[in-house]
Order: sequence, then C-alpha cells, then structure tokens
Amino acid sequence: MPNNPPPALSLQDVSLTLKSLAGPVDILNQVSLEVAPGETVALTGPSGSGKSSLLMVAAGLEKPSSGRIAVTGTDITKMGEDALARFRLGRVGVVFQSFHLIPTMTALENVAVPLELMGVSDAFARAEKELRGVGLIQRTDHYPGQLSGGEQQRVALARALAPGPQILFADEPTGNLDGATGAGIADLIFALNAERGATLFLVTHEESLARRCGRMLRMADGKIVANG
Amino acid sequence: MAELRLALRFARRELRGGFQGFRIFFLCLLLGSAAISGVESLSDAFLTGLQDQGQVLLGGDVSVNLVHRPATSKERAFLDAQGRVSEAISMRAMAYARDNKGRQLVELKGVDDRWPLFGAPAFTPAQNLRDVIACEDDGVCGAAAEQSLLDRLHVRRGDLIKLGDATFRIMAVLDSEPDRISTGFTLGPQLLVSARGLPATGLVTPESLIDYTYRVALKNAGTEPAQSRAAIAGFRARAQAAFPDAGWNIRDRTDAAPGIKRFVEQLTMFLTLVGLVALGVGGVGAGQAILAFLDRKRADIAILKTLGASGGFVFLVFFLQVMMVAVLATVLGAALGAALPFATVWTYGAKLPVPPSFGLYPVPLLLSLAFGLLSAVTFAVPPLSRARAVPPASLFRDLIVPAKTSGQNFYRAISAAAAIGIAVLTLLVAPSPVFAAEFLAGAVAALALLRLLAEGLRRAIAALPRSRSPLLRLALTNLVRPGAATGGVVTALGLGLTLLATVTLLNATINTQVSGALPARAPSFFFVDIQPDEAASFDSVVTGFSGASDYKRTPMIRGRITALDGVPSADAKVAPDAKWALNGDRGITYAATPPPGTVITEGQWWPANYRGPTLISLDQSIAQGTGLRIGDSMTLNVLGRSFEGRIANLRKVDFTTGGQNFVLVLSPGLIDKAPHAFLATVRVTDAQENAMYLAVTDRFPNISTVRVKDAIQQVQDLLSSLAEGVSAASLVTILAGLLVLAGAIAAGARARLYDATILKVLGATRARIALVYAIEYGVLGAATGAIALLAGTLAAWIIAFSILDVPLTFDLKAVVVTVAGGGAATLFFGLLGALGALRARPARRLRTA
Repeated sequence: MPNNPPPALSLQDVSLTLKSLAGPVDILNQVSLEVAPGETVALTGPSGSGKSSLLMVAAGLEKPSSGRIAVTGTDITKMGEDALARFRLGRVGVVFQSFHLIPTMTALENVAVPLELMGVSDAFARAEKELRGVGLIQRTDHYPGQLSGGEQQRVALARALAPGPQILFADEPTGNLDGATGAGIADLIFALNAERGATLFLVTHEESLARRCGRMLRMADGKIVANG
Repeated sequence: MAELRLALRFARRELRGGFQGFRIFFLCLLLGSAAISGVESLSDAFLTGLQDQGQVLLGGDVSVNLVHRPATSKERAFLDAQGRVSEAISMRAMAYARDNKGRQLVELKGVDDRWPLFGAPAFTPAQNLRDVIACEDDGVCGAAAEQSLLDRLHVRRGDLIKLGDATFRIMAVLDSEPDRISTGFTLGPQLLVSARGLPATGLVTPESLIDYTYRVALKNAGTEPAQSRAAIAGFRARAQAAFPDAGWNIRDRTDAAPGIKRFVEQLTMFLTLVGLVALGVGGVGAGQAILAFLDRKRADIAILKTLGASGGFVFLVFFLQVMMVAVLATVLGAALGAALPFATVWTYGAKLPVPPSFGLYPVPLLLSLAFGLLSAVTFAVPPLSRARAVPPASLFRDLIVPAKTSGQNFYRAISAAAAIGIAVLTLLVAPSPVFAAEFLAGAVAALALLRLLAEGLRRAIAALPRSRSPLLRLALTNLVRPGAATGGVVTALGLGLTLLATVTLLNATINTQVSGALPARAPSFFFVDIQPDEAASFDSVVTGFSGASDYKRTPMIRGRITALDGVPSADAKVAPDAKWALNGDRGITYAATPPPGTVITEGQWWPANYRGPTLISLDQSIAQGTGLRIGDSMTLNVLGRSFEGRIANLRKVDFTTGGQNFVLVLSPGLIDKAPHAFLATVRVTDAQENAMYLAVTDRFPNISTVRVKDAIQQVQDLLSSLAEGVSAASLVTILAGLLVLAGAIAAGARARLYDATILKVLGATRARIALVYAIEYGVLGAATGAIALLAGTLAAWIIAFSILDVPLTFDLKAVVVTVAGGGAATLFFGLLGALGALRARPARRLRTA
C-alpha cells in the first residue's frame, strides 16, 4: 500500500483566547481543518470573524490557547518561538496585506533575506530571479519607500516564494491595493503557486478571489461555518 | 494676543495626555538645571560659610603676620591698643620619639594664653587647652598632636617627644583647631604647644624661618558687617600710618581663607561649565526627542493644518508645550539643586573644611532657570520650526525621508540668540571670563568636531559595500537609515566621553610630571634652617655620602616685595599669573656670581666683587607680569627694614625642576648682613636616602628635613582626589549622554520592533536578531568612544601644550575608560532597549500594523 503524504496543514480543535481590558476574548473556537498538499484554499468571512487569527496560528506566528496544529506533517503546537522561526525557514511563506518589507533594505535585499537566513550560497542570484519572475528586475535597488503599493506587494510575494515553501499563507494580499493592481497581484499569486505546486492558504473577503481557489471555507464568530 | 491665548489652550489640551513624548527632554533639562543649581548653591553656601565664620577661621578680626621676627615692643603696643591680641609662632621642625626610633617633620605651632580668641580646639580625649599645653615643674611642657604624628613616631598619649633641645609630653590628640584653614598647605602633621615652651627648644633664632602671627579682636568691630568692615579699614589705615615699613602681612576676617575661597570659586566655575556641557548634551537629545515627538504628532499637525491652522500657529502650539515642560523641568531641577548643600552636610558632616551656611540662595536658582530655559529655546526651536514649514500632505508621507523645509532663518536666529544669551550669561557670572570663554569655545568646537566626525562615520558606513550577511547589513543600515540617531548619540554621548577623556589624560599628564619627570630632576631632600655656625659640618655630613650629588647650599631669607618702581604693590597693575610673587613673603637669596645653571635672558650679571647699591636678578616671567624692566626699582622689606634695589638682569627660572628656585637673587653688600640661615638641596641614590635622612636628623635636630618623595606623594594625593572629583562631575555629562541614547533607543523602538517582527516571520531566531542589535550598538558605542577619545586627546594635547607647557602623557586608562566604557554602556543600554523588540510576539505586532 503506497504511503499517503501528510496533509499540508492540519488543525485539531484549535482555540485562541486573547486578553483584553474588557476581559478574555475568544477569537478561535475549536477549529478543525485539513488541507491537502498542493490544494488552494480560500478563507472568507466578515471582519472580526477570526480569519487572520486562524492564518497566524496556522503559520506559527501565534500560539493557540489549545488544540493541535501540524504543518507538512510536523506538529508545531509545542514549539517555542525560535523553533517555530527555524521551522518556517524554507517551508512556510507569508504575504501580508500591509506588505511588511524591511524599509532600510532594497527590494533585492528584502527578497534575499530568507535565503540568506537559510544559508543559501547564491541567495542574491536567486533573489534576482524571483524579482524577475514578479516583473521587478528594474527595481532591484529601490527601497520600499520608493515603490508603489503594488510593487511592494510583488516584492513581498517574491520574498515569500523565494525559499520554495511547501505552503504559502496570504492574508488579504490585495486588500491595500486598487482593483486593477490587486487583480494583477492575484494572478501572480495563483500563477506562481501553480508553477511550484505549493499549497495556498488565502485569507480574503473578496468573493471573486476566493472563487479562484479549489476550496472555500467560511468563518463566523471564530468557527468554520462552511467548508466546500 | 487672541492667537496666543488659543495656542495656549491647544497646548494645554495636548499636554493633558501627559508628558510621554517629552520624557527625555524633561530629564535632560532637569539634570542640567539641577547640576548648575546644585553646584552654584553649594558654592554660595560654602562662600557664605567662609564669610559668616571668617572671624573664627581667621582667629580674629584681623591677623598680622611677620616672618623671621616677632613684633617690636612698639608694634605690639600698637596692636594691644586695638583690642585683644593673641600671638602664635609657627614653624617647621623635626619631632623625635624619645627612644629616637621615629622622627617626623611637623608643623609646629606655639600659642599664648589668649589663643584662640574665637572658637576652641578639639582634643581626644576632650580636655581643656590650658591643661593640655601646661608646662610641668621639671620643664616638660604638654603638647597636642594630630593622630598621624603619633602613628609615625610610634608614640602614645603620655609619651615624651623631643623638639630640638626640649622635651614635650603628648597630652592629647589634636582633632581640630578653629583657625587651621587659614594655615594653607602643610608638609607634616600639626603639633600644638605653648609658646612658653618654645625657647627651650633652641629652634627660635633670628635666622630661622618662623612666622609670628598676631590675631586681633578689634575693640570696635561690633556685630554688624558694616561696622566690622569699618573697624577693619580703620585698623589697616592706622597700621599703615604708624608702621609703613613693618613689612607685615595683614589679613582680615572678610578674607579668612583666600586659598579656599579662590579654590571654591574656580571649582564652581568649572563645575558650572560642566553643568552647561550637560545642558548642551541634553540639548542635542532634546532636539532629537522633539523630532521624534513631532513624528508621532504628524497626524495631529496635518489635521490642524487641514482645518486651517497657519504654520506659525502650529509652531506656537508646540513651542508653548515645549516651554511648559521646560519651565517645569528647570524649576524642579533648580529646587533639587538647592537641596545639595543640605545633602552634602548630611553626607559629609564634620569632614567638611568649612561648614556651609544653610539657606535658599536666589542667584543660583535664577541662574539655573535662565540657563535651562535658554538651552530649551536653543535646541527646541529648530526642530519645532519643521512642523511650521512642512505642508500637511508631506507630513503624512514623510515617514522615511525627512521633508525639506524652507523659511527657517527666523527660527535659526531665535535659536542663535538664545545660544548667545547662554554665552553672555556665562561670561557675566564667571570669576575668570577668559577661562570660561576658552572652555565654552572648546566645548562648541568639540561639539562641532563631534558632529563632523559623526557625519563622517555615517557616510563611511553608508559607503561600505553592502554586506552579504543580512544581519550585518541590517545592523549597519540601522545606523545610517534616514532619521537614525547615530549623529545625535555620537555627538551627545561623545561630548560627555570627550570631557572624561580630557580630564583622564590631563590627570595622567600632570601625574607623570609630578611623579615621573619631576623626581628625575628634583633633589631628594630639602634642608631648611641650616644655621651659619653649623653650615660647614652640615656640608661635610651630606657630601660624605658617596651617592650624593648636585649638592647646593644657598643663603635664604624671607622678605616682601612692597613696591614696584615706586608704586606700592597693592596698587600696581599685575597680570593674574604674577600676583603670587607679591602676595606674602618670598624666599630671597644673594650671590656674587651667577648660580650654576643660570640662564640670563636680558641684562648683565654684576661683577663678582660688586659691593654697591643692591642690584636684583629677577625671574623674567614675573618681570613680564609686573611690567618691570632692566633699570627699574623694586622695594623690598626684610626683617622690618625697607630698602630699594635696581633690576640688573632677568633670568629664566624653571619652576618645574623642583629644585631651588628664587624669584629674586640680590647682589651681596646689604642683604648678606641680615641674619639668615641656609637652604640646601641634594640628590642621593635610593640606597643611601634613608641613611642620609637618619644621619642629618640625628646630628642636626634643629634642621627641618623635607623628603621630596613625601612631598610629591602629598601633592599627588591632592591632585588625584581633585581629579577624581572632576571626573565624577563629568559623569553628569555622560549621564546626560546616556539619556540621549535612551531617547534615541525609545524613538527607534517602533522601527526596531517592526524589523524584528518581519525577521521572525522570515525565520530568524531571537539570538540572530539580538546579534543585529549587538552589532549595531557595539559599532555605535565603539565609534562614539573612539571619536570621543580622538577629540579628548586633541583637547588635552592643546591644554598640555599651550597652557601647561608639558608633553601629553597618553595612558591606557583613558582609552579603556572612554572607548570600552562608552562602548559597553551603549551596548548595554542598546540591548536593554531592544529587549522589547525581541520579546514581542509577531502576531501581536502584525495585528496592529
């Protein structure tokens, strides 16, 4: 019998409660979910439903209050902060709504950072290739402050994909962009992801974008209310 | 006016949210104002203490001092007619333990029954003065000595000691004397005896170097200051009229301890200037803090402008906020400083040489307020004016690259006017405006140099090839990113460290001169009061040592310079650095031929057989300071006799040799007829030094033997405590520098947290991120230390070369203190400040982005 590959992402009864001045707030409530390798999944829902928090927890950026999380078969639930950082290297890519580039580094340097952290010897050559892939080869020496929003998001995408992650998390990647620019970025995400065969976990409240994924999940009040 | 009221209302509304944006600004001003107010208040308290206690510290309303001779009966009768008189005889002498095992040079003071006219000495065990110094039937008189004499002679209370031919019994330990402070520099422990016991010692001869001091409680002195001043002036006038040629040195209670007073005044000026540097350092930080504050208020400013507020109005709103905080900080700082005299007495109590006089001194408070507010205006206006000049849109966009501003000249002029105000105020209150001006010019030059070097550092780092290591790249770009605090930290912390490096290097230089260069040339011993009848045998004892060299015995008599070319010394115009030659008595010698090593710079030495009217060979620097030339006359008073001499030649006297140096060398013919003793110096090998000490002190108990090593040690101890005090004071500026660093770290915290979050998302561990900060702050600290060392060395070299006229000693301590200390402090505070960024969970930061 052939060995089935482990799911790209597996969440079992994951809850997240945060403290606030008004008392504890339940953000995620017993969420369970499995995403197969290479699958593209969209997570939608109204503001405050817990979409971004679920992405943070799944990407190892936030520790859940309870439950179990496995990414590409590795249980990350009990990992410390540094172990999680090491785990993300080369396995997990993240794209944010606010781009989150390092302002003091050029576009090329921003893309090279994860490769350099991995100890890749030709980090800059590969970073350059990634920038070419997102159509920004002429902008390698520009700082984030000198780039438009769409360009910054393309740099962020190149940076997330440069180490060849098995899973790409994208949190409202077009949320800060105008319609045409956003559509261009969306095309790029799907094209590059398909090209590399990575799993895509996309948080969005844009219905049209969500429909481009193989599966759509819907969240409300910290729970997944629709799956399929 | 209406706009001002509105701006005030807006400013108050803004401040309701608290001082969060002004913390560093507030602390910098508080520290500087407290330092200035503290130093000035303490100084006023000491000077008032000196004034209030002048009568006790001097031992009378006036003190009349004669050298070599007591007052004549007529002089004494005159003094007795003025009020109650007490006589004290002071000299240096050798004290011996009775078993002859220990011997020590002492400052011997013989007092009459009326001493002291004011205050009382303190003994252990507590006893009555008369009982302590009473003479027994067998002729042995009592004595009180400082504990250090008992320790060095290995004697205890009740033991006998010898002074010349007489024996004394130690009855008590002398803890304090009311008029001790007016004595000045001493070479040995104090020994107090009755003047009645002194003749038996055989030490009191007309040739010996003895001070006779008559302290007078004037009849009509009264208790009112005006009355006592009038009485003192009357006494001086009568004394001058009755005995114009007495050659006595009269001091009064208004200037009981001129040395201490001068010292306090000079030290106050220096420490006030250090306080000003602290304000300057803080000012740099304040400027940065205001920039950071405006960065946070960007949206508020833009909204105000969008709603129709003019640039000038916006400036006014924020200027008023800054000045409200500045007033609070300086008032609080001044109040804290005013408490320093109380804290000093509480901490040091009886150890203080002069008890400070408690009180609220308004001048120091006003001074610190003025300095604090002026420096707030100097440093706050330029950054505040940016808010006025920047259009609303660019305020929103100006996140990375500061916007270019225009129309700043008016605001620069306000800032410059406030800076000039600080300089003018400093010069007005400084006792030595020239020194203050030099110090301020030096501080401004150092500030400019540091700014220049900081900019050089920034450019050098920016020009470095981009490192392939992301951590190193991030660390280095953090140092040069637009809005980075590198320039401010290098300048501010660097200025404090520069001051510390300068003080450390100058201390090392002076120490080298005192302990290294000086002893290499200085004699091993000074022998004072060699009587004429023992001179020959003394010569043979000293020169009998095979290791003795450079033996020199010179006649010496003390006298005063009373007039310069007919102008009384008191009225003559004399340069400050030559005044010392006219204050009090000077050693005078005579010689037929130029003493070996004499360098004549002008004029001719007299013929060896010259016996005509007195000719004078004068130190050329004193000639320069007094304006005297060849052929001019000088009036001298020796042993109460005035006589005139003409200047025949000028000599170059090198006082740094530590050997025999006389300002005045006279031709023989008159002066050699006056009773006088001899001064001798000799160098001896280390191996024979102790043997010579024992041989001379055994054979000639009347000769005061000064071991140069001991004197140098005493000077070194004094210098090192002074250097420690000054170094401690310069720590205030370093503290201000560290506040600036803390401000810079706080201002950059947001960007740092952001970078750390992204790096964590991308897979960097906390250790790797910490390494970024370690590199960043390590480079910043080491560069600041190195730059400060460079600037400090330059400043110390200029002072050593142009003022001290000695080569600079570069010592490792300065390097370690400045570079390593500065680097370590920066690294420590930098990492401490970065802890928040390391601890932050990525999701929290990303959630709020």
